[in-house]
Amino acid sequence: MATATLSALRIASVQRPRLESAMAQRAGVISELDDIDELVRLHQARIRRFVTFSTGDADLAETITQDTLLRAYRGRESFRGDCSLSTWLTGIAINVTRDHLRSGRYKFWKHLKATALDVHEMASFLPSEAVSPERRVLAKERIKELYAVLEGLSYNQRTIFLMKFSEEMSVDEISEILGMAVNTVRTHLHRALKAVRSKLGAKI
Amino acid sequence: MTPELKNHLSEEALDDVLIGLGTAQSHAHLAVCPECRDQVKTFLGDVTLFNAASIAWSKSRLPRPYVSEPRVRVHAAFVGWVVSAAALVVLAFGVWHHRPDTAPRQANSVPSQPTDSEAQIAQDNQLLQAVNAAISPDEASPIEEYKILESSHPYPKAHSKKRMK
Repeated sequence: MATATLSALRIASVQRPRLESAMAQRAGVISELDDIDELVRLHQARIRRFVTFSTGDADLAETITQDTLLRAYRGRESFRGDCSLSTWLTGIAINVTRDHLRSGRYKFWKHLKATALDVHEMASFLPSEAVSPERRVLAKERIKELYAVLEGLSYNQRTIFLMKFSEEMSVDEISEILGMAVNTVRTHLHRALKAVRSKLGAKI
Repeated sequence: MTPELKNHLSEEALDDVLIGLGTAQSHAHLAVCPECRDQVKTFLGDVTLFNAASIAWSKSRLPRPYVSEPRVRVHAAFVGWVVSAAALVVLAFGVWHHRPDTAPRQANSVPSQPTDSEAQIAQDNQLLQAVNAAISPDEASPIEEYKILESSHPYPKAHSKKRMK
């Protein structure tokens, strides 16, 4: 009995620094979550980008981004710290997007007025340091083509593609957030990649 | 020719590498095959350009005025309580002031009459007595001399009553 208790204490003492580190990390993130202005400053652009290209609707994305940040702020106590804050926020954004897409109100407005993204405008925001002036025109064309391929994908394929290649999440993280089996995520990614590479890869 | 270069990576193997699930064999092939490596490089280059442009575009978007709802709710509740309390105070003040003011206000609402002097009252009484004497029925009416009053008028009682008035 005493040996068991001692070994438990030893394990606890070994695990304590790791636990304390995780707790400190979580405490840091929670303090970041406590300040909604800081939350907006650090994460708004990234969430807006993800939702815009996932839904293809810039105005809707604006609403979803605000809802996401407000929901995160209100539910900050539920953040367990077992994933990064950006992953957690992306998960919330996906849930909020699903709610909006399911609502009849969205379908009505979607029929009435589709606020499609202006991809030409978006491509013109390519930072000058990202590509040389000689390759700039070509790079903008590649961006437009990639977006055109993404538009043709299903919602799930497009969202998973963005989660993987824009949000840089692992397949396991995507699987957990979407509540999908890892193999299903892989299948969606394979289909999305096949479509993208068949259009863009042909020009190599 | 090394075994890795015998065949290029299949589409699926290439996708697995891009997804981050490439096998050691695939990575070994990529290390020695420039064509497959170029495919990976081109794809990742396009994605990088897309990400750079899209995040710059997103940052440039003017955010809507951000409503920090929780704070507003607290303020709204506080303001609501203050307004309710103020309304109650005003109401209570009004009720309290309404009762004692009722009688004096009614009295004040009647314009004040100038008080008459004793001499004026006596003069008025004299005038009234003179009027009474002038219209007194003791004095015979000149019409009565002709005895025409009862025969000529079909409704003598009514007529006389009118005249009396």
